[in-house]
Amino acid sequence: MAANMSPKKNEMPTQAPEVRARNFDEVALGYDEATAIDEAKRCLNCKNMPCVSGCPVKIHIPAFIAKVAEGDFDGAYEIITRTSSLPAVCGRVCPQELQCESKCVRGIKGEPVGIGRLERFVADRHNAKADVVVDKPESNGHRVAVIGSGPSGLTCAGDLAKRGYSVTVFEALHVAGGVLVYGIPEFRLPKSIVAREIEGLKAMGVTISTNMIIGKTLSIDELLEDGFEAVFIGSGAGLPRFMGIPGENLRGVYSANEFLTRVNLMKAYREDSATPIMRAKKVAVVGGGNVAMDAARSALRLGAEKVYIVYRRSESELPARREEVEHAMEEGIEFLFLTNPIEILEGEDGSVCGMRCEEMELGEPDASGRRRAVAIEGSEFVLEVDCAVMSIGTSPNPLIKSTTDGLETQKWGGIIADEETGLTSRTAVYAGGDAVTGAATVILAMGAGKNAAEAIDKYIMSK
Amino acid sequence: MYKILRKKVLNPTVVLMDIEAPLIAKKAEPGQFIILRVDGEGERIPLTIADFDREGGTVTIIFQIVGGTTGKLSEKNEGDFIEDFAGPLGTPSKLDGLGKVAVVGGGVGCAIAYPIAKKLHSMGCEVHSIAGFRCRDLVILADEFAAVSDTLKIMTDDGSYGECGLVTTALESLINEGNKYDEVIAIGPLVMMKFVCQLTKKYGIKTTVSMNPIMIDGTGMCGGCRLTVGGETKFACVDGPDFDGHLVDFDEAMKRGSMYKEFEAHAREDSCNLFRKEK
Repeated sequence: MAANMSPKKNEMPTQAPEVRARNFDEVALGYDEATAIDEAKRCLNCKNMPCVSGCPVKIHIPAFIAKVAEGDFDGAYEIITRTSSLPAVCGRVCPQELQCESKCVRGIKGEPVGIGRLERFVADRHNAKADVVVDKPESNGHRVAVIGSGPSGLTCAGDLAKRGYSVTVFEALHVAGGVLVYGIPEFRLPKSIVAREIEGLKAMGVTISTNMIIGKTLSIDELLEDGFEAVFIGSGAGLPRFMGIPGENLRGVYSANEFLTRVNLMKAYREDSATPIMRAKKVAVVGGGNVAMDAARSALRLGAEKVYIVYRRSESELPARREEVEHAMEEGIEFLFLTNPIEILEGEDGSVCGMRCEEMELGEPDASGRRRAVAIEGSEFVLEVDCAVMSIGTSPNPLIKSTTDGLETQKWGGIIADEETGLTSRTAVYAGGDAVTGAATVILAMGAGKNAAEAIDKYIMSK
Repeated sequence: MYKILRKKVLNPTVVLMDIEAPLIAKKAEPGQFIILRVDGEGERIPLTIADFDREGGTVTIIFQIVGGTTGKLSEKNEGDFIEDFAGPLGTPSKLDGLGKVAVVGGGVGCAIAYPIAKKLHSMGCEVHSIAGFRCRDLVILADEFAAVSDTLKIMTDDGSYGECGLVTTALESLINEGNKYDEVIAIGPLVMMKFVCQLTKKYGIKTTVSMNPIMIDGTGMCGGCRLTVGGETKFACVDGPDFDGHLVDFDEAMKRGSMYKEFEAHAREDSCNLFRKEK
């Protein structure tokens, strides 16, 4: 088979920026079969598989791509799902440029193979088939409880179910999926895809129990007394942070979590939704991560005339996935780099009428290794906005910690868990994902869920 | 799905329901709340737990019809189901060690004040209850309050029931009669709680208020319920809903509470037969 030596990836077909900026349909449309095969042929099938070392769940990347190149898409899917529970999700939201694709040999003199795009293609092609039968593994008679139905919980549940465990996933909200349903918007990750992946887990025998707030409705100790032999905590990132500047509690100031939850989970973008959302004209989103990009692009789709990203460092420090930044720029989001808000200004009746900002410059690197932003004296200006969305991170939720004796946490509140196994300070209690690391990515959370599943299996089997 | 076991219309705009929710009934304490969704398309709203029956496995909610969701909920009947019901959320009210307390309720807030008066009474505390309403037709829980209070004053704005005047008038006269309260607990509209706090601050009486801001998840994730307490941002859902009333920024809370007023008014008109009839 002739290799495709093009230095460039096959482009991802997308909705035109001016069209998609006004709808909530998915931005990227996915490869067709011919494009997928063409892209797969760019893979050199390296013996030492550097790409796999960049994957938190260790997908056998060259093997699945070889199947795509042969046109054996079912075979490719089978290889991916040996190690990944949520391929249609990862193909869309992983920061591939920092993971698998960053290690790709083709990336040295050109662009790496579009691994994420191929993963997405394989998963979507599989999911488009209506008649997929999932083999329900034979039960091994052991019960495990998983707290939280986000990426780490679903992965842990899926891996344990494959091994025959009877798994119950406890979800605090009324619908399963965690950040995949309340956080990441429809235009980046259609909710039907998440629902499909969850249906797959249910078909394997996983029970999803919604409206269950562990730490309130039931405690971890009650779960263990009830016969669950191990518990995995994947409860997610927690409480939104605010800057502590004047005006942050005005009407029209949202946390990104609230803004996105209203739009995604509660479908406030639809005219018939029972959940209201402010339809602002000019919106400032403070922060530079994926969540900030999601909030800004959602605000635009809700009809805002002008949306700003206000970020105190420069473009090269933006923590968001590159593709999201590019998409946001194409759609007309205006980036104010080296800009820091110092006050949100009050208009009529406690509404927002502006944001006072100061310009910054980059100084010496701080503890995180990023160059510290320092205010430039006398650079203050007012940005005219009627809505502000604060997207500057989260701090851990105290609900589980405060109701579980002997569960140790870091000073900042994250649950202390062994890096390899996810084991906490309590026997039979494991943890992973944002509840342990603080806000990170979907795929890292999945990796943690996967490792914990393996450790839980070993623990229960050796009892 | 959660079954409605009992429904009682307390006044034209206030309804009581017992909901079958054994796990929540087992854990619930006065001062805590639940989040519910009426149906699969509904919004999530918080409601304070008005009572609970651990053996019977039920949680009582009392709500006022203010928006589309409470309108839809009020149309459900005994034997019907509501889609989602999660809790108990928030921190229980701290009632230990109190010897003499004035419990002040306003309007539907009396539904939350009542279980607190009841609990205090059962703990042997001397309870003086003051319940305020706009008029006779809106009075709720008068007999229930009477059963758990050493002194009860019912106040109406127009004097059509009980005494004419505001709850603050009644509270101030009780204080002036020489009653020394360890604490005043005030639950009702923000403006009522604000004026109760102004009064008790003057007399130096510790005052606890129960805040009921706009919420979505109720577990700390969204931050929509934040308020300023003693200059700090607090989340009503995890830090409250009870707060030291002398530290709460009520003016800010009132402004935040009005964020979706227009939306709520439309939703109510669209969905509620009760209000259509009343017009």
